[in-house]
Amino acid sequence: MLAWTIYISFLGAGLLLCLSSAHKSAARVIALLSAVGGFIIALAGAWASDGRLQEVIRISWVPSLGLRYYLAADGISLTLVLLTGLAAVTGILFSWNIQHRVREFFAFYLALIGGVYGVFLSFDLFLLFVFYEIAIVPKYFLIAIWGSTRKEYGAMKLALYSFIGSAMVLIGLVAAYVVAGANTFDLLELAKYPFPLGFQLWVFPLVFIGFAILAGLWPFHTWAPTGHVAAPTAASMLLAGVVMKLGAYGALRVAMTLFPLGLLAWQKPLALLATTGIVYGATVALVQKDFKFVIGYSSVSHMGFVLLGLMTLTNIGLSGAVLQMFSHGIIAGLLFAVVGRMVYDRTHTRELAVLEGMDLGRALPFAAVTFTIAGAASMGMPGFSGFVAELQVLIGAWKAFPYYALLGGLGVILGVVYTLRAIRKAFFGEHPAPPEPGHEPPPPITLPERLGSLILLAATVLIGLYPRLLLDLIIPSLNAPWMQHLVNGGRP
Amino acid sequence: MNYGELLKLLAPESILALTLLLVLGADATFLSGRAPGLRRAVAASLTVAGCMGAIYWIFFFPIHGHLFSGVLVVDPLTQVTKQVLLLLTAATALLTLETAFTPHVGEYFGLQLLATLGFLFMVSSEDILTIFVALELASLSLYMLASFAKGNLASAEAGLKYFLYGGLASAFLLFGFSLLYGLTGETLLAKIAAKITTTPRDPLLVVAISMVLTGLGFKIAAVPFQLWAPDVYEGAPTPSAALIASGSKLASFFLLEKMMTIGLSSAVGSGAFHALAAGWVPMLAMLAGLSLIVGNLTALAQTSVKRLLAYSAIAHAGYALLGVIANSSQGFVALLFYVMTYGFTVLGAFGVVAVVERQTGSDRLEAFAGLSRRSPVLAGVLFVCLLSLAGIPPLAGFFGKFYLFAAILRAGAPSLGILWLVILAIALSAVSLFYYLQVLKQAFVREAPLELPFSVKPSTQLVLILLALCVILFGCAPDLLVSKLLLALKAAAPGLVF
Amino acid sequence: MIGLSHYLALSAILFSLGLLGVLVRRSLLVVYMSLELMLNAANLALVAFSRFNQNLDGQVVVFFIITVAAAEVAVGLALIVALFRLRQTTHIEDLNTLNH
Repeated sequence: MLAWTIYISFLGAGLLLCLSSAHKSAARVIALLSAVGGFIIALAGAWASDGRLQEVIRISWVPSLGLRYYLAADGISLTLVLLTGLAAVTGILFSWNIQHRVREFFAFYLALIGGVYGVFLSFDLFLLFVFYEIAIVPKYFLIAIWGSTRKEYGAMKLALYSFIGSAMVLIGLVAAYVVAGANTFDLLELAKYPFPLGFQLWVFPLVFIGFAILAGLWPFHTWAPTGHVAAPTAASMLLAGVVMKLGAYGALRVAMTLFPLGLLAWQKPLALLATTGIVYGATVALVQKDFKFVIGYSSVSHMGFVLLGLMTLTNIGLSGAVLQMFSHGIIAGLLFAVVGRMVYDRTHTRELAVLEGMDLGRALPFAAVTFTIAGAASMGMPGFSGFVAELQVLIGAWKAFPYYALLGGLGVILGVVYTLRAIRKAFFGEHPAPPEPGHEPPPPITLPERLGSLILLAATVLIGLYPRLLLDLIIPSLNAPWMQHLVNGGRP
Repeated sequence: MNYGELLKLLAPESILALTLLLVLGADATFLSGRAPGLRRAVAASLTVAGCMGAIYWIFFFPIHGHLFSGVLVVDPLTQVTKQVLLLLTAATALLTLETAFTPHVGEYFGLQLLATLGFLFMVSSEDILTIFVALELASLSLYMLASFAKGNLASAEAGLKYFLYGGLASAFLLFGFSLLYGLTGETLLAKIAAKITTTPRDPLLVVAISMVLTGLGFKIAAVPFQLWAPDVYEGAPTPSAALIASGSKLASFFLLEKMMTIGLSSAVGSGAFHALAAGWVPMLAMLAGLSLIVGNLTALAQTSVKRLLAYSAIAHAGYALLGVIANSSQGFVALLFYVMTYGFTVLGAFGVVAVVERQTGSDRLEAFAGLSRRSPVLAGVLFVCLLSLAGIPPLAGFFGKFYLFAAILRAGAPSLGILWLVILAIALSAVSLFYYLQVLKQAFVREAPLELPFSVKPSTQLVLILLALCVILFGCAPDLLVSKLLLALKAAAPGLVF
Repeated sequence: MIGLSHYLALSAILFSLGLLGVLVRRSLLVVYMSLELMLNAANLALVAFSRFNQNLDGQVVVFFIITVAAAEVAVGLALIVALFRLRQTTHIEDLNTLNH
């Protein structure tokens, strides 16, 4: 059943391509229906799951090479599938007003979603890689066609970074496939194979960094701010919401699972990079003049928590990291929606200095309230999902490397500062300029926008108040035998 | 010797030769003086019918045998390859309908058939004499095809350059052959290989191998023998360039693989990073590495799409060479899968270029601006083909590349000595995405100054859509072709474990 | 006594002369003649090998090569004539329309 999340997205994309370009509303409805369908299936799958691995489909694909079409899901996959469903539905709600080449927009959008679902559900590494690359191309076109601010540059940068990352992954995967000599890409079977230490020492960082480029690992994060800023709202939401998670998920599922010895050797240096990312992202976000860049760099900072959590190699740190993937996906999506859709599309500026004089808190109260709540969640206020996740990561990090945990704590404080600064400047400017005569107030917030915001807010509050909903899925998966070494500090 | 058997084994070739006569005859007699459009339509239909007839013959009468103790070999593998070659020619003939550069319709289609005849013989030959004759038959026809737009200086020049470089390559190949013959006293590939093991290693053998590689390296446009390719691709009429890029590539690679794995099977050597050993593998590894680097990096700077495709073809020769270097049955199958699907892909791309060139008068990048609205079908085909060339799944180019990487690494397993070449190939394929996206950016992102829809012939649309579907199909279900090739290889060489 | 090595040396010299001609000469017709010289160097080697290997295969090959070379002459000269009609030149430097 879960496999239909993938098929329904690609079917939706295919259907849109067959549609005449005149039917704009029909295109929107088809896109929304596909996304909602995917989300419902994901929800049903998560509901029925106890967090342990369940096979969805497993058939031979290319027998002579041992490639399989093998989809399965454990709690970690389901958490991210659920996130993808949420991001897909709300992204469509926030791009309801798109007028330019609607049909193609939603076709690329759904193709991207389908690829992302595929990555989260693949347990054959070749298949996982195929879906991973399928997700790259639509990103390029979504940004290059419908983006703003140096869109072609941002799109090309993102595409090349992704493709270089995936090239690194491919080298590692092919080498591992040949060295294991078992004629299979099955994740669980490869995980059993003891790769030689010398091999792991170079393959692990190759594959890990290849994936982590997409997760915004410092210093390979530079695609993220430019890409986010250039992207149209829905694409920024997807980029921050799910695409960055692809990277973190791949790093966890492939690199860390297959190469435990390499992981142990590289644990400290990578944790250092992750921590640097947290502090660096937060510091740079603090001085940005462009509203969207603030959120872009904050994403780098928050994804640093995910990577730090992964490197802790403790149960609590890892579950925190997965929870943070979910939490950041929702919160960043919401922040981008407010900045890109509610503010930028109405005021046509993202300069904080200009917005300061617009008194948007009064003109767009819904946007202001939404952003304030989302900002609070992003800062890690108790009661929101970000709090639980970052706390878990920091506790895990405290056990593994206390100094990094302290630096991570600094990152949280900086997060409070830059978020408050952004909220104050954008919505509650102290010296609102008197409205010019004849200046029209911005159009009111539309129904789809309200709906999208409410869904995302509800999700972050729900997980913040009752994190066990997801932790019950995540923790049993971490206890699976083939992930044991990850929660035991790296020892098998 | 039984001439009846000869005729049966060579029935597909005979069908093609008859078609050639028919095309020439029809054009010279009752069609002379008619409208060029009609003449083109009739010639193309006859060509396609001939190719299809040959394909059906191979399909329904699977006869296999070795003639004259192996001078001509007809086995399941050659037959599959021939079917693909015939398909490529049929598609090229249909795409030719889009163009109107010559009044000599019959001759143009005739030469396409003649070149294809050469390809078929190249595939079947395992003797240096027949190899040389087949190669020359194909080459001479291609030189003429390249310069067929006689009034166009670029085309005449392209043909002449192709001819000069090609003549040089033939001379090298022939001298290499003569040395091989001198060293062994044999002309059959298998017997040459058997004699080389017993002869002590000889510097003459190294010279012979390098000369043979020079000759064949020219045909596949591997660096440093690629100089002709950009000019020929750009200057030649688009269907000619398409045939050079697709059918000629496939036949040449098939020949190269046979030459190396059968004829020189005892002078393999090693291309592993720490353990280089003299033989043809390290030489080819060097050609492959150079082709990958030069092809991909030079393509970055191109503004003419045909030239861009030429440099990309050079780079793809580098990828395909990995399959030869693997020197294993997996490598052979990976090579064939790659070059066959590459043929479909590049034909699709050239088909789109042909239409754009006819409608806008240029093959510059800017000419593709707004293509997605001027002709969604063409834009879609271009999208599929270029992304396949860039190696994006789920398209055939991706699986082909992966299969090559897996095959070459497995052939050397458990040592990863040849990994350096694979790393180079994968890294440069990341680079290649940049220039393919430059074309797609024009087609999908930029807007055209004049958004008039393109008029595209239904036959062209049909062929292009079929080609794109093939690229998608073989990418999603590669086993359709892979298992067929594996079976054919097993049947062709039962005891063969390279 | 003239042995195989003498023939081979002559053949190699002819081949090198031909190659040199192709590389340095500027007239298309001379370049073309040099190409033919290279082919004939190969022919000479084949005949010599055939004689000293005590089998006739090499000589058979030579007959075919001569025939193919004749076909190549036809094609090559036609191409040169076609170019001459358009450019009134047979110089290699004038092949510069492409590659700008």
